[in-house]
Amino acid sequence: MIHIDEQPWREMLSHAEATYPNECCGVMLGAVDELKLVRLAVPLENVAEGSHRARYELAPEDLLRAEHEARTRGLDVIGIYHSHPDCDAYFSETDLKNSCPWYSFVVLSIYDGRFRNANSWLPDAEQTKAEKEEMTWPKS
Amino acid sequence: MAKILIPTPLRQYTEKQSEIQIQGATVGEVLTALTTRYADLRKQLYSDAGALRSYVNVYVNDEDIRYLEKDKTEVKDADTLTIVPSIAGGSTLVEDAVATELTKEEILRYSRHLIMPEVGMEGQLKLKNASVLLVGAGGLGAPLGLYLAAAGIGRIGLVDFDVVDHTNLHRQVIHGTKDVGRKKLDSAADRMRDINPNVKLDLHDVALTSENAFAIFRDYDIIVDGTDNFPTRYLVNDACVLLGKPNVYGSIFRFEGQATVFAYPGGPCYRCSYPEPPPPGLIPSCAEGGVLGILPGMIGVIQATETVKLIMGIGESLVGRLLRYDALEMRFREYKVRRDPECPVCGDHPTIMQLIDYQQFCGIPQQVTNSEPLKGELDVTEVKQKMDRGDSFVLIDVREPHEYQIASIPQARLIPLGEVAKRLSEIDPDAEIVVHCKSGGRSAKAVEILKQNGYKNVANMRGGILAWSDKVDPRVPKY
Repeated sequence: MIHIDEQPWREMLSHAEATYPNECCGVMLGAVDELKLVRLAVPLENVAEGSHRARYELAPEDLLRAEHEARTRGLDVIGIYHSHPDCDAYFSETDLKNSCPWYSFVVLSIYDGRFRNANSWLPDAEQTKAEKEEMTWPKS
Repeated sequence: MAKILIPTPLRQYTEKQSEIQIQGATVGEVLTALTTRYADLRKQLYSDAGALRSYVNVYVNDEDIRYLEKDKTEVKDADTLTIVPSIAGGSTLVEDAVATELTKEEILRYSRHLIMPEVGMEGQLKLKNASVLLVGAGGLGAPLGLYLAAAGIGRIGLVDFDVVDHTNLHRQVIHGTKDVGRKKLDSAADRMRDINPNVKLDLHDVALTSENAFAIFRDYDIIVDGTDNFPTRYLVNDACVLLGKPNVYGSIFRFEGQATVFAYPGGPCYRCSYPEPPPPGLIPSCAEGGVLGILPGMIGVIQATETVKLIMGIGESLVGRLLRYDALEMRFREYKVRRDPECPVCGDHPTIMQLIDYQQFCGIPQQVTNSEPLKGELDVTEVKQKMDRGDSFVLIDVREPHEYQIASIPQARLIPLGEVAKRLSEIDPDAEIVVHCKSGGRSAKAVEILKQNGYKNVANMRGGILAWSDKVDPRVPKY
């Protein structure tokens, strides 16, 4: 189970809505105990080639920097978030084929520039399926 | 000893350690030593076949070993190794399985392609792995559907909500006489499946709108514009630019047609050439202006050719060139079209980032769903009643003489719209006047002209001679 604190949640929402109609992406830092707790969201650049309307890619260098950043703050990288403009918060075939089983993948569904729903996914090592992870966030 | 940093999720395999000192002269040696010490970690980093998993990147200090000497990259004592996953994705729903071979049946079917080195197995597989969306299954959609299915495009989407009618048959050769009354999608799909059952067809039985365009376009490599109206043409263009997908464009008018490729990286888009739509009514549609039945065949086949060339990456595409064809002169002319850096959608500082209301953009009033007659309009049955009662009024037909030859109302006097203003002396200003045309558009303009010239008692016959044929006299042919 994963919970996202209010501040990182606001950060992720505004990033996703501001990037609409393109996809945004970033990392979630926090701590893993009995549950995963996201305490900081770091928006990163979408470096996918071509249109970002239905694609995202993280630069490994950015992920590397995020790892270092997490270490200096005493946090861990626990997940990746990205947005799905004008479609639901499913884990697409493209998401699965470019995923990594080490993290929670939070997908934010944005319709017409406004947040609609979010899900967290846990892909397997062979990139053949992803399980939905229970997720909570501050509802307001 | 080099230091290796372990990302959080993997620490459960390294006895919770985040940094490990390991001996080794190369990256390969360090990783082997690491995964020997922590056997469970091996499964995370390597596939069963023993290769580093596709999502595992290894950095020596701040350099990716893929750009150094991979696992042979030298490691010194003070170096820090970091394991970083590569992560990407996107909302694209359909990621078709990539075909790597053709079946025996396909090899036979495509043999005349395969023996040309420009196509070959490689090109034919590209076609098989491609997806193309045809917007419209009408005049241009007909040859496009036939030839793209025959060429072996793996997946073809069709967007259309129309029904086949008799006036389509002289040009929309994908539909037959037996198909009149059927959905164009069903009729086209039957024909395409018959030509090539290997093609997967997606049928989108909707009108393309700003609300659904992204969702429909998203799953195709190339969009082919076979539309017949300006709002949809701008919509297709903008959606292609915003999604980064090429727009293979074609349009037809009477004896002339044009084709090019818009929204290709670096090339122009439709708006670069036509920033503003023409005023509504200035450029007649096929229904109003007519079209040589063969013309869409020519233009659609050019679009189909450009589509397969783009997919295979061969030849010289029409990007940056507008090809115009004149069937009467039987001549092709080519015009350069350039990307406009000031273009509002594909320029350097775009102002259009989302789809807009294209009906409004093109100045087309919201469709009136109310079928009540407007003020100053008469229904065809009312006009008939006036005739039957022997009312004294003048019925004026403002169509062209060649249309009058096709169908006419005996009591009507022919004064083509373009001559109305010059022939006012022939029209009694005190008479009650009713004006008609084919469907009511031109007669509305004539009513305006007459009113501006002081005629007080003027009415438009709603729905024109088509409505007359429907409701009053079925012997009058429709055209």
